[in-house]
Amino acid sequence: MKPLYVLLTVLATAGSATAHHGWGSYDAANPVTITGPILNAKYENPHATITVRGTDKEWTVTLAPTSRMSNRGATADVIAKGKTVTAIGYRSTVEKDEMRAERITIDGKTYEMR
Amino acid sequence: MLDTAPAIFVALEGSGLGQMIRQSRWLYMTANVGHIVSLVVFAGAVAVLDLRMAGAFAATSPGYVLSRARRAAIWAFFGLALTGAVLFTAEASHVIMNPVFQLKLVLIALGLLNIALFEFFTTPQVKDLAPLTPLPSAARRAGVISIVLWIAVAICGRSIAYF
Repeated sequence: MKPLYVLLTVLATAGSATAHHGWGSYDAANPVTITGPILNAKYENPHATITVRGTDKEWTVTLAPTSRMSNRGATADVIAKGKTVTAIGYRSTVEKDEMRAERITIDGKTYEMR
Repeated sequence: MLDTAPAIFVALEGSGLGQMIRQSRWLYMTANVGHIVSLVVFAGAVAVLDLRMAGAFAATSPGYVLSRARRAAIWAFFGLALTGAVLFTAEASHVIMNPVFQLKLVLIALGLLNIALFEFFTTPQVKDLAPLTPLPSAARRAGVISIVLWIAVAICGRSIAYF
């Protein structure tokens, strides 16, 4: 039974390392909206990410898995450097300057990320 | 404990293979699904094996159950290792530093050690026993330890994403 105790202890104490999946570590009670140019786009698994120059600072915006985004029309060409994006989502409670988008709007089209 | 990932994991993540996995539309997803399918088969085989060793299904022949369940478990383990390697490669430098992933590796090592000890010392004692013969306590112990360890491994695996 010992491994189970070790496991539970670690699960209970291992703070907030590098979490980026799931919606648990985002402040869903206070949605934020960021609009600005895409400085950098990574169309990669497990989640696409973009860097956006918002009015206050540069944000890293976590999007969805690429296969889901492609299915919904948000291809790599759409989420490209230089385009202007509006991202509605939640601030990370772990990573500074990171937010996870619920939906994004580019060129007048809105794409759901969840 | 290190603050940054050892260079080999940074190199692995940055390699052409790592890039291909991250940028392919299907590869990461397929590996993810394949990992779950392998896990289901592995868990099924291991559960049969472990429960038999722990005393369940006493009317079956232990040697027969062992050999069949072992074969399925070995195949499924290779499936887990292969798909797991794909998922790991995509994010190697981050995942290797994840405390839950590190714990998972330790638990897998303990699980494999348990199997090795069982196969070496206990299998010879139980494989020719007739149905309904009580099994040695070593077999029961190995079965219980195994089931606890592999469930803990699965819990860790799913928890990596949240730590």
